[in-house]
Amino acid sequence: MNRLLKFYHELGSPPSFYRITSHWLKPMLILAIVFTVYGLIDGLFFAPEDYQQGDSYRIIFVHVPAAWMSMFIYAIVGVSGIMAFVWRMKVAEAVMMASAPIGAIFTAITLLTGMLWGKPMWGTYWDWDARMTSELILLFLYIGVLGIYSAYDEDPRKAARLAALVAIIGLINLPIIRYSVYWWTSIHQGSSVSLMGESGIKDWDMLRPLLVMALATKFYYIYSMLNRAQTHLLKTEQNKNWVKKALIEVKTDVQPGAGS
Amino acid sequence: MRFGALVKRDVLVSWRKKSNIYQPLVFQLLIVTMFPLGLGAGAQTLAKIAPAVVWILALLSTLITLENIFKDDYEDGSMDVYVLSGMSLPLAALSKATAHWLTTGIPVILFAPVIGVLMHLPEQSYGVLLLSLLLATPIFSLLGTVGSALIVNIKNGGMLLSVLIMPLLSPVLIFGAGAVLETTLGNSALGHLLLLLGCTILTLTLAPIAAAAAIKVNLE
Repeated sequence: MNRLLKFYHELGSPPSFYRITSHWLKPMLILAIVFTVYGLIDGLFFAPEDYQQGDSYRIIFVHVPAAWMSMFIYAIVGVSGIMAFVWRMKVAEAVMMASAPIGAIFTAITLLTGMLWGKPMWGTYWDWDARMTSELILLFLYIGVLGIYSAYDEDPRKAARLAALVAIIGLINLPIIRYSVYWWTSIHQGSSVSLMGESGIKDWDMLRPLLVMALATKFYYIYSMLNRAQTHLLKTEQNKNWVKKALIEVKTDVQPGAGS
Repeated sequence: MRFGALVKRDVLVSWRKKSNIYQPLVFQLLIVTMFPLGLGAGAQTLAKIAPAVVWILALLSTLITLENIFKDDYEDGSMDVYVLSGMSLPLAALSKATAHWLTTGIPVILFAPVIGVLMHLPEQSYGVLLLSLLLATPIFSLLGTVGSALIVNIKNGGMLLSVLIMPLLSPVLIFGAGAVLETTLGNSALGHLLLLLGCTILTLTLAPIAAAAAIKVNLE
């Protein structure tokens, strides 16, 4: 318990966060690559065909994990936003601002793959289906967080606190937006085609690549987020001593490697 | 009381400037002219989209005024005075929202039937239209104080303000325009109006706190 508590507190301080997480980058990246390669090969070549959709269903191995990540990452942005706003933790600010662009990209991937899948299946790229609409609004929420942060480029800490406030407001509103959009579609038309609603996947050969891909996106997120968070910390703390030390360490690490 | 004094001062400033009050209405009139020009003037075509158009115009015309809620106060230093005066900041934000609602919200509500007539909105819908806007315009003003407080420090923050506010307003639009739409179809709009009322109360309780937090960060 004591060690766990110590670890937790250490993660809260930028120098030890940097030191601890720099060992995690490589394993996370390797795991992400291995899982992605396995998941894609298994999903695209070995998983059985769907009895209705044929081969075109295979886009779910990208689409569904990306959709999960788009919502999961917003939750992380919101929670780290609360931590950044209430306790003014620098590491929480770094995690929030590192996560937001990744989440936005996953949201965009979800929308894009959904559209590509929708054309052959529904006969249209876009339909104002509840899920698609709320995913699009989620993208706006991400853009809001990123937009206000980049607008305050002269004072990154202030910018992060305002972005945290936007993220918290978004987190409170997300359930309201989701439910209102669901009710809205049920008012306008009978519930249109739902993506996975009809049966759900039961076949293990189909489920396995999906779960593997879900893990792959998680590992990729951890890798990318830590990488961005480290850069964020180096940038915002550039005048501190630990940054100079860390950068010197990197230099001395590289030089013998380059020489041999 | 300070709350009343602040509201009175802001209403007076808006009243003297006048443009704050008639700008949204002129905007609505200009845009509503474009619909028949673009769509064709058929009464049935217009009536079909009338609930949405009246509502979206009310929303957009309010949106263009929101940026200014805190802008002048921030630039001339009144905002520092709010903080220094020891007045509770959420209360100050609430008074700004009240003043904005009095000078923009009420004219927009009163003007909506005119837009309705121009768009051939069916007769049975006017009551619900007024009621739905009465519930929703306070939300515009309240969220406006939050958005405006967030962007006071940014040049040309208007676009950013829209990006920040639009996701929050989408449920309001769904329930509000939905309520009017129901009445044009001859249904009861009670459900939508109650949900809208819920949104109003939620915004009334939380928005001033969020706006106060944004002011605090900006003045640090």
